[in-house]
Amino acid sequence: MTIRLLILLLALAVPATAAGRLNVAIGADVNVVEVHKTVLGPGFAQTSRDTDLNVVGTGTGEPASRAIYTKLKAQADTGRKPWDIDVALVSMAVASQMVKEGLLYRYVPQLKNAGLVKGAEVKEAFGVAVDGYVVPMFQNQIAIAYNPARVAAPPRSFEDIVAWARANPGKFGYNGIKGGVSGVGFTMGWVYWKTGQYKALTQGPFDKTKEGAIREAVTALREFNKTALITNGNAGTLDALNRGEIAMGVVWIDQLVAWKNEGRMDATITPVLPAPGLPIYPLYLVVPREAASRDLAVRYIDYVATPEVQARAIVEKFGWYPGVDPDKVLPLVSARSRELLFKGVSAEDLARYSRQMPIKEYHDLITLAYEEIVR
Amino acid sequence: MLGAVFLWPLAASVLASLTRDGEATVAHYATVWRLYRADVLYTIGVAAAGTALTFAAAIPACGWLRLRAFGPVEFLLKVPLFVPFVVVGHALRVALSPHAPGLAGSWAGIALALAWKHLGLAALLLLGAFRGVDEAYLEAARDVGAGGGRLVRDILVPMSAPALAVSGILIFSSMLASFSIPLMMSRGGGPQMLMIDVYYRYGQHGDFATASALGVVAYLLAMGAALAYARRLTA
Repeated sequence: MTIRLLILLLALAVPATAAGRLNVAIGADVNVVEVHKTVLGPGFAQTSRDTDLNVVGTGTGEPASRAIYTKLKAQADTGRKPWDIDVALVSMAVASQMVKEGLLYRYVPQLKNAGLVKGAEVKEAFGVAVDGYVVPMFQNQIAIAYNPARVAAPPRSFEDIVAWARANPGKFGYNGIKGGVSGVGFTMGWVYWKTGQYKALTQGPFDKTKEGAIREAVTALREFNKTALITNGNAGTLDALNRGEIAMGVVWIDQLVAWKNEGRMDATITPVLPAPGLPIYPLYLVVPREAASRDLAVRYIDYVATPEVQARAIVEKFGWYPGVDPDKVLPLVSARSRELLFKGVSAEDLARYSRQMPIKEYHDLITLAYEEIVR
Repeated sequence: MLGAVFLWPLAASVLASLTRDGEATVAHYATVWRLYRADVLYTIGVAAAGTALTFAAAIPACGWLRLRAFGPVEFLLKVPLFVPFVVVGHALRVALSPHAPGLAGSWAGIALALAWKHLGLAALLLLGAFRGVDEAYLEAARDVGAGGGRLVRDILVPMSAPALAVSGILIFSSMLASFSIPLMMSRGGGPQMLMIDVYYRYGQHGDFATASALGVVAYLLAMGAALAYARRLTA
């Protein structure tokens, strides 16, 4: 974390007050940083001359977003103004915390594309009202990936997953809750399935009496884990799938697509979204409250949210789900890209089975139960 | 300088681990006890196994090099000194996963990788100690028929015992605080090395207080080893 912060500090050392300078901090993998550096940045510079885009990646996973939070929080606590990050790409958990602590600027109503920012995930995240503060750069869906050569019938439900894993011990893999958010998401999906309390867990209010049902669900997960392989992180699951160590596993669809596009992954590995669903976990574009180039930051995010840009940079180039209204973006995408995008997981599957993360209190209760019961 | 780069951050961590909303509390240590006490034992166990493995390989190799100086082997033995921890973790994971996936993600795999990484440091320290043993003792033993194995076991090791102990303490402390290798090799479930727990508490939950409490526990473990080291130095 210290190293991440130091890199961030050095990279942003040039004052952000220079005319047209936009400091963009990306709490995501290098491929997302590259999109901003090589596609979105240059595209935006064409529409907004004299803009100097300084893009910095802070790493992967939650700690990458947390590094951005830590820096902004430190600047807020010391009373320093302006802050030297203008646009940040952060996880749902960190964004919700930043909104709660008043670290973000409510900018979405100013966007020309504000009407395209839709969905439950832009209204509320972990029980915090994030409406107006966030625009998903792209949607990030957790799914089950399987090897068709070794899985005769893809699982359509959690019951199917349990039955298959029991019949094929050690061949279903996921990364637990300490190896990345896909494992956390699978755990949440499991608890939704076992408790049947999806609505209550995602909408609140927090009710401590639900703890018994949650712990019962997590105890069942402990039993399930005896037939599963706990992998080493999100990439570890993909790696195990690729090597054939497992034949089915919990993955991020965007990461699966990225690995396939880079030729690092068996192209036949296919995602599927079983009932009653798995969480979606978008990365949000946010503007810090005291950003030096706030207006420019809003214009940049507006550019990223443009349907043409989403279609070209997000869907066509990377095979990710669009961050804004798909009804406006997908008609601009080629038929082949649409087919690739929805191979295995259809638009209907997404509409029916894409789930939200629970509110923070339940999230913490579930992960705590996992640590105590499953380990 | 010491105060700025060590004592102040340490004090801040200790303070964070003992407060909640400005009130003094030991609740974070209670969390460590409830959720991570097995991980404390696991970390000590892996570090001890890694240290034992390191010496199991380093003592015969360094003993052989003391008796028959051979530059290329000595160079190879010290190569791990220059290989970053992350690279060792990645390399071992890639090498072991296809052939021994069970070992790659287990405590034994982590101990093996830690031992490989620390072999260079052990070689550096042990060779220095073994070379400090007067040749006359070895000659005398050879005269009464001692072979290479006996010379290492009965002359070099006993006469280098203080240096061996210090090396062991340094290597054990380093393994206690290892992060990159467990991060690259361990599974997402089961017992974890303490630094992984620190990373998880802060990275996943933003829980700086419990992360600090875990850090203090790791510091106390290393402190125990450091005190033994200091005693050796002043003995």
